[in-house]
Amino acid sequence: MSELKPMINALLRSKIGAVLLLVQVAITLAIVSNAAFMISDRLAYLNQPTGYDESAIFSFRVNNFDPDINLVQQYALDEQAIRSLDGVVDVAMTNWVPLSGSGDSSSMHTSPPPEMGRGVRAAYQLTSDSALNTLGATLIAGRNFRADEVVHSDNRDNLPTTAIVTKDLAEEMFPDESALGKTVYQGQGALKIIGVIDTIKGPWLDDSRPANVIFFPFNYADSRAEFIVRTEAHKRAQVMAQIEELLLNNESQRVIYRIEGLDESKAAYMARDRLVMRMLIVLIVVLVLVTALGIFGLTLFNISKRTKQIGTRRALGARRSAIVRYFLVENALVASVGIVLGAGLAMLLGQQLMTVFSLPSLSWTFVLASATFMLIMSLIAAWAPAQRAANIEPSIATRSI
Amino acid sequence: MFWHYIDLSWRSLKRTPMVSTLMVLAIAIGIGVTMTTLSVYHMMSADPIPAKSKQLFAVQLQSMDDGDGWWTSDDLPYQLSFPDAENLYQDRAAKAQAPMLRTGFAVHLGDARTKPQLMGARATSRDFFSMFNAQFVHGGAWREQADKDAMKQVVIERSLSEELYGQQSPVGKTLYLDNHVFEVVGVVAPVTRHIKFYDLNNGAFRKPERIFVPFSLIRELELPSWGNSNGWKREEIKSYQDKLNSEIYWLQYWVELDNDEQKQQYSDYLRNYIDQQKQLGRFTREHPKFSLRDVNQWMTYNKVVSEDNKILVLLSFMFLAVCLANILGLLLAKFMRRAPEVGVRRALGASKTQVFMQHLVEVALLGSLGGVLGIFLAQLSLWGVRESYSAYSDLATMDALMLISAPVIAIIACVVAGLLPAWQVCRTNPAYYLKTQ
Repeated sequence: MSELKPMINALLRSKIGAVLLLVQVAITLAIVSNAAFMISDRLAYLNQPTGYDESAIFSFRVNNFDPDINLVQQYALDEQAIRSLDGVVDVAMTNWVPLSGSGDSSSMHTSPPPEMGRGVRAAYQLTSDSALNTLGATLIAGRNFRADEVVHSDNRDNLPTTAIVTKDLAEEMFPDESALGKTVYQGQGALKIIGVIDTIKGPWLDDSRPANVIFFPFNYADSRAEFIVRTEAHKRAQVMAQIEELLLNNESQRVIYRIEGLDESKAAYMARDRLVMRMLIVLIVVLVLVTALGIFGLTLFNISKRTKQIGTRRALGARRSAIVRYFLVENALVASVGIVLGAGLAMLLGQQLMTVFSLPSLSWTFVLASATFMLIMSLIAAWAPAQRAANIEPSIATRSI
Repeated sequence: MFWHYIDLSWRSLKRTPMVSTLMVLAIAIGIGVTMTTLSVYHMMSADPIPAKSKQLFAVQLQSMDDGDGWWTSDDLPYQLSFPDAENLYQDRAAKAQAPMLRTGFAVHLGDARTKPQLMGARATSRDFFSMFNAQFVHGGAWREQADKDAMKQVVIERSLSEELYGQQSPVGKTLYLDNHVFEVVGVVAPVTRHIKFYDLNNGAFRKPERIFVPFSLIRELELPSWGNSNGWKREEIKSYQDKLNSEIYWLQYWVELDNDEQKQQYSDYLRNYIDQQKQLGRFTREHPKFSLRDVNQWMTYNKVVSEDNKILVLLSFMFLAVCLANILGLLLAKFMRRAPEVGVRRALGASKTQVFMQHLVEVALLGSLGGVLGIFLAQLSLWGVRESYSAYSDLATMDALMLISAPVIAIIACVVAGLLPAWQVCRTNPAYYLKTQ
């Protein structure tokens, strides 16, 4: 690499071009590594396993406005009617739909008041013995609710006494022992844990504990109710299309609304995050293109300035490959300095984003990957101009303009 | 002279179409990206009711016990309990006051023709309409009597009125909310366009309710809350009556106060109210705080502009910087190549300033072309934003200010980028280029 010293000297003599390239590479690297990090963060969030077969499940809501309806009876009839539809596997009435962003949560305690013991916040689902089958939840310990344990009521005078919890909630409430058979307290209400199920997510995916869910065998017949239906996946659309008419035929003084697949509920809940992710992707793709174009342009400019010099070198016996190498190495040199600066800038920006906003701290691997990518990109962008430089005729050295 | 420079610039651009196009594209892309994120940010943070944002205040009371905190920055709950909302409203100590709750009904006309539709509704006082500058298309707000006696009167928004009754005025007609018969007393134009600032509970950018009913119906009809309810106290809630009497926070409360004096008076009133509630034993906190935040303070406090949006604005300005570095390089290349020509001009008597100005005009021309093209790019990407997230459908647009800002930012950015190349070229030594090389 005997060329390095004269190359550096040449760069130092015409600083502006090199500095501009360096600045571009540095800022681009800072943005790309941070944006890529944010994108991967979002992707992990968007693609997190939920524990459901989302394409086989759908939900809908009912709002009854005739005060004279016997709601307990009506909802039982509704469930029966839905269950008899072709393609339906199971149905459960509930107080919220998983992954939808709206639900109920409360603190569960290991002891009753006043001492309370350990308290853990969990989403609580009021539902029946058909919930586990409908949601496709897997029991890993204990048993499902018995039909006679389920309280069917339009008031809260009579409350359930058993509960099923997710593995996640069980481990948080009882870290060192089996939760099975333990009693948890919601206020004064005591609930004995009879079953533990494998991880499924509750209503809020962006919660710090999205899988803390507890099920109560309580079919609470409010004027507003939500139903979750599990179907054979290929018959879901067909079942969804029938629901409104079926239920209105049963009772007309009501509105059936938000009939949507579980995948749709999730997509709606995550729409903003997906948008932000898309914007970030567009941002870095366009940015990399712009930077590549910039490198292309600047290299071209450098070459046109040095046409005579290149011609002279060629006339003195330099091979084409030597000329190509010269510009590629020069480019790599500048880009490397830019990358080193950019890596620092990226970490600084990551640091700032972390302190000002609630972002996790930028990991080195992203900076490293982005840096490698930038180096390759800058070489590709410099390739064509370098080829052009190699084609400069040696005779140009002797020509005057 | 200026027009001459413009003419020269235009010729210069045409002479190097490739480089010129690249530069205009670079500016346009930079401006397009920046204006997309900036427009969304601008719409989110814009004052939703400039005429009154300094006179409308959200009321907050710290009614929970000592030891019970809240997740807000100042430990105050966002909403009020029903007893507080009702008490404050009964006293009517401000010029105008609007307690409110988001609820909803199955809406229909009581005949077989119309299928009942579920719709959100706002239960509030008649002051709501004057406070938030609602423009009545037909009729008006309900009378004070309706607020007092829980009369079944309703004000609906224009779009709903057209859906249900066509073009004619529905005032005096009946509307079924669930199975209650209401009398339509007024039709209003939409109260707020993109930010539902008076109730930020379920997302600031949700569509506002199109139905308004008297606040007193909450008690009368046991209206369900369609918003958030947050409790702190261990209370047995078995019936609706229990919820009304509970310390759960589930209502919003706004007051209108014209000036500092009125604000002072209302603050004194709230202090008295807190003392009185302490004497009654309802508030047990040693020093309960309260707060009156105007509209813009309320939006900041509720973090209406999300972090993501701020980060995107930050990143897109950095993006613009990269585009500028790019343009700077290209300008340098272009101008320096023209050095011989400049040498001739200098030799013929053009001053350094004139050469400098000529090149800056050229750069500004590039900027304005890029700015205009950038607006088109921004429109395109804003359309993409609207398509992929319906909640932003009213936000992802450029208003007049943003449309003007685009070329202005583009021109300023380009001139800044062009300073160095223009300086370099005007320092050209004429003698050097007049010689044959």
